[in-house]
Amino acid sequence: MIKNSNSADHVSPIHSSVEGRDNMSHMARNVRWALAIVALLYLPVVLTDRAIFGIPLSNAQLLNLSLTQINLMLIAMMGALSLNFLTGCAGLISIGHAALYAVGAMTAATAGTLWGWPFTLVLLAAGVTGASAGFLAGLPSLRVRGLYFVLSTMALHYIVMYAFLEYQFKFFDVVGIPFKNASLGSFELSTPLRWYGFLLLLTVLVFWGLRNTLRSREGQALTAMRDHELAATSLGVNVRTLRLKAFMLSSAIASVAGALYAYYLTNVTSESFGIGFAIEFIAMIIVGGMGSLGGSLVGAALWLLLPSIINLIASQANETTGLVHLVLVDHKAQLVQLIFGLLVVVLLIFAPDGLAGLSKQWQKRKRNTDSSASAHKGEA
Amino acid sequence: MLGQVLFGGLAVGSIYGLVALGFAVIFKGTEVFNFAQGMFVVCGAYLAVTAMSVLGLPFFAGAVFIVCAAALLGVLIHALLIQPLSGRPMLSVIMITIALCIVLRALIEMIFGSAGRPLSTPLPSGVITLGSLRISKLHLTAMLVSWVCMGGFGAFFRFTPIGLLMRATADGHEAAVVSGINVNLMNRLAWAIGSVLAAVGGLFLGQLQIVSTELESIGLLALPAVVIGGMQSIPGAIVGGLLVGLVEQLAASYVSPKSSDIFIYGLLLLILMFRPWGLFGQRELGRV
Repeated sequence: MIKNSNSADHVSPIHSSVEGRDNMSHMARNVRWALAIVALLYLPVVLTDRAIFGIPLSNAQLLNLSLTQINLMLIAMMGALSLNFLTGCAGLISIGHAALYAVGAMTAATAGTLWGWPFTLVLLAAGVTGASAGFLAGLPSLRVRGLYFVLSTMALHYIVMYAFLEYQFKFFDVVGIPFKNASLGSFELSTPLRWYGFLLLLTVLVFWGLRNTLRSREGQALTAMRDHELAATSLGVNVRTLRLKAFMLSSAIASVAGALYAYYLTNVTSESFGIGFAIEFIAMIIVGGMGSLGGSLVGAALWLLLPSIINLIASQANETTGLVHLVLVDHKAQLVQLIFGLLVVVLLIFAPDGLAGLSKQWQKRKRNTDSSASAHKGEA
Repeated sequence: MLGQVLFGGLAVGSIYGLVALGFAVIFKGTEVFNFAQGMFVVCGAYLAVTAMSVLGLPFFAGAVFIVCAAALLGVLIHALLIQPLSGRPMLSVIMITIALCIVLRALIEMIFGSAGRPLSTPLPSGVITLGSLRISKLHLTAMLVSWVCMGGFGAFFRFTPIGLLMRATADGHEAAVVSGINVNLMNRLAWAIGSVLAAVGGLFLGQLQIVSTELESIGLLALPAVVIGGMQSIPGAIVGGLLVGLVEQLAASYVSPKSSDIFIYGLLLLILMFRPWGLFGQRELGRV
């Protein structure tokens, strides 16, 4: 009764209740979107005034967060979105995303720092070089499948890192590559607040663009390819070029994110983009949920908030001594990694669709209990 | 000069071959693409540090300790992480080995600190001069031990009943189950062997360099080695390892010390493009 709720004798009451719920959920979704937008616009005010609606908040309550961390989070979100598009939706694992960030940073250094191009043009150039790097590294994927793709992205990583090191020492020095202040026309991105507005806009654009891509014909073909490559081929999907296109799009976004990252940090070295950096992105999308674009946002947010949370606990535990102190204070960075790594492992075993999958399950259960309740009402 | 470089390449390549063999045993046996093989090498190096410097065991007891602990690590990882994921898509299984890298690295840095540690063992060090060739005794030992290990495991797979059971399991899981083979036990054994081989590699790499979690990227060279040799082929893994070692040493001496990566991974890309089944592997056929 609960499962096939549109069985013949119950059509009218349940159908109407379903429709009503659809309207409700539609409205609820709009309200949720509006709330999210308001919250995002209000966030910088909270963080600069250190107060919410006039109620002052202590640093601990705000997790010592500043707008800078939020901005870095937004940049990481773009990377996570592009990787999740590739891994979760197209089924291709890439450990080359750190390298693509590096490609973006190198492009930004050449076009922005050396040639003095305007910022917007630099970002465009980063997108183009990122797509080209993706094209080159994706070429083997015309021949090989799934597993081997990981290896070609690994090759991309080491080759790009070598190039980056050579590049850094040829044109700059050990200290790293410096970047100028970014500005959009005459609007200078000189404060964290201005950056926040710009990055928020870009992140929303990337999210929206990827979501629409997934809903397009080619996006559907991409998902089909992930689920069953041979079946997709037999339906006339050209998996080879599709794979290459998906990787190029993902690379272009990651590269732009890399250029933004470099500009935001104002100085990067080859050590900023190790293989651990690429692995962090993979961890983010597993935690958030593979194949869920919203999940990548959550994963990236969690990854960047976790250090702040640990910091908070550590500051409380400052008085305690012994092992707790040792672990919390002296090995904070490792503790963050450990907790996140374990979270990934536990989620992979017990909830392979990540937090997004968990929330979907929870909603489904809630809906089931709701509909069973309304079905009972109908019978009464 | 060339002889010197070639010898160094063969010595380092033997270690890579050993690590790659461990990877291939796991891949053939359980179809898991073990991204954590590089981290297993690091674990081996730190187990050696524990045995030699922390516990102060005599060398042979230390060696037994390293082998037992590494085998235990492999078995535990299979039981806790890999077995629960059996039947899941390949993507999740690769992901869990990647997550394992994060966890192991964090644990090691928490226990031993993130600074590198020197590893000193009673293994012979010093140089033998053979004509114009100067051979490091450590290189020679590493090479000999690697070859003994590779030969030993080759014979184990070829001639012992358990080796036969393992090969049968690798050839077809279902057929093995039907024949009454304890497939889980065989898989666990494969993970133990893979981990031990990586640990032995770690023991030598840790001594040739310095023991730190940075050894991971050296351990990860086993991946290109395996692919160049052919994923499904055990001799391919060894030859691939030797080839990677030779390319690395040649590039480091004749081009520039840091350029070896670009040659190794460039070779990997070429292989992926023109001969994805590797030098010794068999062409994979897609079935509908």
